[in-house]
Amino acid sequence: MKLSSLFAPALAVAVGLAAIPAAQAQFVPNRPLEIAVHAGPGSGNDVFARALISVIEANNLSPVRIQVANKPGGGSTTAAAYVASKAGTSNTLGVFTNIWITDPLVSAEATNPLSSMTPLALVIREPGLIAVKADSPYQTLGDFIEAAKAEPGKLSQSGGSVLARENVLRQLIMMETGADWQFISFPSGGERLAALLGGHVDLMIVEPGEAAEQVRSGAMRVIAAVSEERLPTFPDVPTLTEAGLNVPNLPQIRGIVAPPGMPAEAVAYYSDMIRQATESQQWQDYVSENGFEAAFTTPEETSAFVAEYTEQLAGILEAAGLEIVKR
Amino acid sequence: MRFQTLLRDGDVIAGAALAGLGGFVFVTGSGYAYWSPSGPGPGFFPVWYGGLMIALSLGLIVSRILRGITPGEAIDWPGIGRAMFTWAAFVVATLSMPHVGFVIAFTLFCLVLIKGVFQRPFLQAILASVAITAAFHVIFVILLQVDLPAGPLGV
Amino acid sequence: MDILYGLGHGFGVALQPQNIVWCFLGCFLGTVVGILPGLGPAATIAILMPLTLNMDPAGGIIMLAGIYYGAKYGGSTTSILLNMPGESSSVVSCIDGYQMALKGRAGAALGIAAISSFIAGTVGIVLLTLVAPAVARFALSFSSPEYFALMVFGLSLVVLLSGASLLKGLLALLVGLWLSTVGIDLFTAQSRFTFGRPELLGGLDFVVIAIGVFAIAEIMTTIQNRAEGRLIPVPKGFRNLLPSWEELKASRFAFVNGSITGFVIGVLPGAGSAIASFIAYGIEKAVSKRKEMFGHGAPEGLAAPEGANNADTGGALVPLLTLGIPGGGTTAILLSALILWGVRPGPLMITESPDIFWGLVASMYVGNVVLLLLNLPLVPAFAQLLRVPKWVLFPVIFGLAIIGAYSVSGRIFDVELLAAFGLLGFLMAKLGFPSAPLILGFVLGDAMERALRQSLMMSQGDITSLFQRPISLTLLIGAAIILILPMVGFINRFRVRAISEGA
Repeated sequence: MKLSSLFAPALAVAVGLAAIPAAQAQFVPNRPLEIAVHAGPGSGNDVFARALISVIEANNLSPVRIQVANKPGGGSTTAAAYVASKAGTSNTLGVFTNIWITDPLVSAEATNPLSSMTPLALVIREPGLIAVKADSPYQTLGDFIEAAKAEPGKLSQSGGSVLARENVLRQLIMMETGADWQFISFPSGGERLAALLGGHVDLMIVEPGEAAEQVRSGAMRVIAAVSEERLPTFPDVPTLTEAGLNVPNLPQIRGIVAPPGMPAEAVAYYSDMIRQATESQQWQDYVSENGFEAAFTTPEETSAFVAEYTEQLAGILEAAGLEIVKR
Repeated sequence: MRFQTLLRDGDVIAGAALAGLGGFVFVTGSGYAYWSPSGPGPGFFPVWYGGLMIALSLGLIVSRILRGITPGEAIDWPGIGRAMFTWAAFVVATLSMPHVGFVIAFTLFCLVLIKGVFQRPFLQAILASVAITAAFHVIFVILLQVDLPAGPLGV
Repeated sequence: MDILYGLGHGFGVALQPQNIVWCFLGCFLGTVVGILPGLGPAATIAILMPLTLNMDPAGGIIMLAGIYYGAKYGGSTTSILLNMPGESSSVVSCIDGYQMALKGRAGAALGIAAISSFIAGTVGIVLLTLVAPAVARFALSFSSPEYFALMVFGLSLVVLLSGASLLKGLLALLVGLWLSTVGIDLFTAQSRFTFGRPELLGGLDFVVIAIGVFAIAEIMTTIQNRAEGRLIPVPKGFRNLLPSWEELKASRFAFVNGSITGFVIGVLPGAGSAIASFIAYGIEKAVSKRKEMFGHGAPEGLAAPEGANNADTGGALVPLLTLGIPGGGTTAILLSALILWGVRPGPLMITESPDIFWGLVASMYVGNVVLLLLNLPLVPAFAQLLRVPKWVLFPVIFGLAIIGAYSVSGRIFDVELLAAFGLLGFLMAKLGFPSAPLILGFVLGDAMERALRQSLMMSQGDITSLFQRPISLTLLIGAAIILILPMVGFINRFRVRAISEGA
């Protein structure tokens, strides 16, 4: 077990190197490209990957077919292990999000941190919206925080994993204001939403696309935006800063990562391909329809961002009482 | 003699094994937080599962003894041998699959099963193994594009 | 009146020739992926979604939904013929379905499954048509205490699934419960029972366990007993390939039970069709006058879970279409397909996109008829599959099992686990432990643990909150009755006699 885990990456690199001579200075993919996604079909990441692929294909940016490989399990760990196992090769990419950074921080078994691979590009940042049920007594985030201060632990927020941005943000706000409310984990987005709309929890952080329809139908009210500036689709909703909170704006990111040791020519090729895709009209439409923010970065910028963000998240999680196993 | 029969009884063996498993679950579960500020922690349920497993498996042994030990029916060793041989072949095929690929591993596994367990003539076994594997490859890998382990030959 | 008008409008959409073709195509593809492992309905819809984007949205959603409910029809086929459940919702169909096949009633079992699926599927859609908004409010009122009580109620059914020894059934249940805790704890990010293996962080997959303890273990047991011959007798004659009048009559309550149970539980976003099928089976056995038949090929023991599994579809579409809340993986991808077409599911959908809403609902009536017409003629053909000699059939089952396990995450580790669970299932069968409670514990354990922890967080540690809510209290009392009765010795004198006579 120990031996094989030492040898496997080395072997993979060796096999990868042996395959490289075909691709010298000018890299052009010659086999179908695979994009690994850490969740099942229909999940946010899966939809994101398929949207990106359809834009790439619509603009003829790839000479080869691109397919999605769903590798769910253990948050990001199964997908991360899969991408890492393709070390040195040039036909596999992965979609990474915040949990690719946080999982390896707290799970000793998650042995493939993003920094050990080749972060290629950030593609989008997702603003969040803090929402309450439409008939909730809390008109502003300030109302909610006051109520949470008055009765510590009584109010609650629905969300997913404790590692997700929604909980990290809650920790930040609680530390900043001294308020205290519960974070209740539900495995699926549907259950989180049902808990809020059923009045079983008081608060939730939702994606703009998800919130739009619930707000329009009068089921939900949005009280703050987790973004640098007000969202074009929700111009009346104040940002956290405007709501009087001095907390860093933690972006929810989606980006593309390549296996460790991908040849530089291939890295440059894919970076260029993603840049062209994100500059296309279809992609910009997709981004604005869903209320995302475009965020393309070069491989160097991406690596720097990942290193910095890892430190920041580790600090917050540690302050929230989670054990950081490695940085 | 009586004690030896007891040790060979299926219920007693299973009870002992499950008590051991229960002990493991209980002890490992105790290593996780049993209670957290906001309710049961990650250790709460494993501790209970492990504890109940110990209690019930001891109950199984006791009830077996109370019922009186009678020598069980003779164990069908050749039959169990056949079943375990099949299982071992399956394990070998599984472990070799990442290295040699689905097609080679599964063809050989079929061959071992058809020839070794079902004792069909050799030629028939080879033809059937190749035909079954080919059908799987065509249906799942080529038509449905299901991802299966590929070996050095690309299949 | 609005409903009748809407439905009439919907049939106008669904009965357009091209939409009938899409419906048929979806149902056909669904049946195929339901039968074959390796490509579930969610993955199939994801692959076909880009192709449907250029289609008329009504036609597209009609086809994609056809894949969703068609796969549930197909799912029972391998359960009945090979004791190999393709997805969690068809595990319960193995229990009596495979026993029927062993008795030479494979054709009848497939027929019962198809008929029950048709009836319950249609009832599910009728309920979706008539009571969707009211039921949606019920779904929202279901909070963690109710889910906890529902899971406890489901777990109490172990009493009815245990066979000869309740003690062994409870032990198998505990092992299943323990297996459900493997992986990262959602609430604290603590990894539990992962033995340092990253592959275990995501927990064990249901398909791997079920195929192992059912299909692989069954093969090993059969090989141990006799190596030659055919697996199952297939009687000649067309009449023997269809359900008999007695079998249909025995299943009539199961059709109703499966329909209602499946729909009600399907409506709840946090439950799922596996739970629905287990509970329908439990109810069926609890009220049956011939409990001893269950587990030995009772047709009603197949009809109830199979019906629940299909009525669940209509239920699951209620929160999706009226609230915009997806209940599971496949409905989540239907939601993203609708959004890509610019249709936003939610309370306004019926008024804003009546073509799509009513077209979809009406197409499901059509689809259920299509599926019945598609599946009934296939029954004799599938039943003939058992004429294949074992030395060909067993390698094929192994191959299907490998593909089913491997495609969970595309890694060999799951096939290794499959082998381990196959051995476990074989040993359990040798030692007289029933395997259904293990699956029951695994399927419900995780949800039960989560719901209790959520409940106690919401009530700040106050356990009495579980008993103060009417639905949760009712379910907990029901569970207590089911658990206590056999201990008093009322519910199953048969079992008591079997024990006192000594095994």
